[in-house]
Amino acid sequence: MTTTATYERPRVRKPIDWWRWAGRGFITFIMLFATLPMLWMILTSVKTQFAAMQYPPQWWPAEPTLNSYIKLLNPNDQIGQDFLRYFGNSFYVSFLTTVLGVVVAVPAAYAFSRFRFPGRTFLFFSVLVRNMFPAVVFLVPLFILMRWLGLVNTHGSLVLTYLTFGLPLSIWLLKGFYDNIPIQLEQAARIDGATRFQAFLLIVMPLSSPGIIATSIFSFIGAWNEYIYAYTFLSRDDQMTLPVGIQRFFTEFATDWPGLMAATFLMSVPVVVMFLVLQKYFVQALTEGAVKH
Amino acid sequence: MSIATGRAASPLSARSAKKPNVFSRMAAHRTDYLYVLPALIVMMVVIAYPIYYTIELSFYRTPPNLQLRDKVWAGFDNYTAVLSSSVFHEVTLNTVIWTVASTFFSFVLGLGAALSLHREFIGRGLFRALLMIPYVVSAVAASYVWKWLYHSDFGVIGALAVQLGFTSEPINFLDNRQTVLSSLIVVNIWREFSFAMVMMMAGLQTVPEQLLRAAQVDGATPWNRFWHVTFPHLKGVSMVTVLLLMVANFNSIIIPFIMTGGGPADASHIWITHIYQLAFGRQQWGAAAAYAVILFIVMMALGYFYVKALTRGDEARQE
Repeated sequence: MTTTATYERPRVRKPIDWWRWAGRGFITFIMLFATLPMLWMILTSVKTQFAAMQYPPQWWPAEPTLNSYIKLLNPNDQIGQDFLRYFGNSFYVSFLTTVLGVVVAVPAAYAFSRFRFPGRTFLFFSVLVRNMFPAVVFLVPLFILMRWLGLVNTHGSLVLTYLTFGLPLSIWLLKGFYDNIPIQLEQAARIDGATRFQAFLLIVMPLSSPGIIATSIFSFIGAWNEYIYAYTFLSRDDQMTLPVGIQRFFTEFATDWPGLMAATFLMSVPVVVMFLVLQKYFVQALTEGAVKH
Repeated sequence: MSIATGRAASPLSARSAKKPNVFSRMAAHRTDYLYVLPALIVMMVVIAYPIYYTIELSFYRTPPNLQLRDKVWAGFDNYTAVLSSSVFHEVTLNTVIWTVASTFFSFVLGLGAALSLHREFIGRGLFRALLMIPYVVSAVAASYVWKWLYHSDFGVIGALAVQLGFTSEPINFLDNRQTVLSSLIVVNIWREFSFAMVMMMAGLQTVPEQLLRAAQVDGATPWNRFWHVTFPHLKGVSMVTVLLLMVANFNSIIIPFIMTGGGPADASHIWITHIYQLAFGRQQWGAAAAYAVILFIVMMALGYFYVKALTRGDEARQE
């Protein structure tokens, strides 16, 4: 009989969980907010110039084309040649910044984590406070300094500058990782006859490789995305990095929106891929230090 | 205990005094400094010198070509010029609106996203990754994409507004004094809310599960559970997140610089873009330096709280 079923149903039925539905609604909204602009960028980049400049807009490209991408990646084309050169410049500058940054930050972070020398706290926070100052404050003096060093219009000026605004963060991140490596490991190595430097190189360095990866992603992405110093220090076309170079496309071909969107897309690909592959480290680096252990 | 302190407690220093003076302690730790030295040299050259230089420059009237031999002592003239200039008031108001609104909405959206993603479900990792992409790509890319979305003739947002019947013709978001600043703030929020999300997600993991369950058993509503159990645990993380967002927003230049250049008629100028324009646009180096020093002082006040919030974490870990 159905009496048991009709009896049980009202007891089993839960009240509608409004909070859960509110959460779902919110997640839908925020996903649309975050992804639709990127989707529109991609859709525009595969339209012809004619199709992009229509009102009302073509919601879905009627005749999708990869022309913009082919143009940008073709080394025989003038635009492609420029774009690929900017790409190479960006890569060179970001790579050099990352490697040098790690080489300088690792010993400093280690010292801040392990040693108790006088002035440690002061030095540590003077390093951190650098993050508080806006790029613009340093632009004029650094521009003069670079001119004096003869580095204006060279990639050296950018590497040196990116190094400094990457350093405080790198030191801070790495220090967090070193703090979490038990000091007993080094002490054991010291007892076994290793020098302090050997203990650092052979015990601590391998253990802190996640920290080094995290720090490297951060400085690479930071350098890759940097705009204002590159814009100010470089005026020679063959030296420009991508963020600045893209602006040139924009002013010269003011109406080529599909081309610009394609260039923007290609510029974002390396950092997004890097982020997706090393997401765990990236998130760890972001939250390190802010969330108490 | 560290290796270094163990070594410093040599018989010599133990005999001479309970607390050896700074120099002998520095000498005992001399090799420690070698580790920090490369970082310090780089920082000194590229940070200490520019700060000193900016402060010096702010007291001089300088020729446009930056030939510094020709600079003339001007006392506080640059400061009074900046503070009494006609646009300073509006630009300051813009800066406050930009910083506070961006920070507030990024934080609220980020917290909401973190709470909605806290529960385990299929595709959660993918959602988080997608939400974070705007934060990872360059602000330059964000600026161009949104400039296209806001385009006065072919922009998709304007077209949508017409299709849905909000307006009769596309809105000119960026060329309108009333809408420009809010339009830029939306772009900024788009870019950085996921930073707040990641921070708050990490914070949520520190909330003890048992407390929440206990509250649930006691019949607390979801709101009460959030407000009385979850939120108090998030206080520390929230403070650091808000501070970091404020500093980042205060210092951010790219979005207004690329999208509007401060226009129309200064309606989207914030301090940073204004300083850049004074220096590299009008070559008023002295005034720009004075402006930068003012900004500096404001940042120092913010920085004080920033360092305080961070040291708490640092000290907690040392113990």
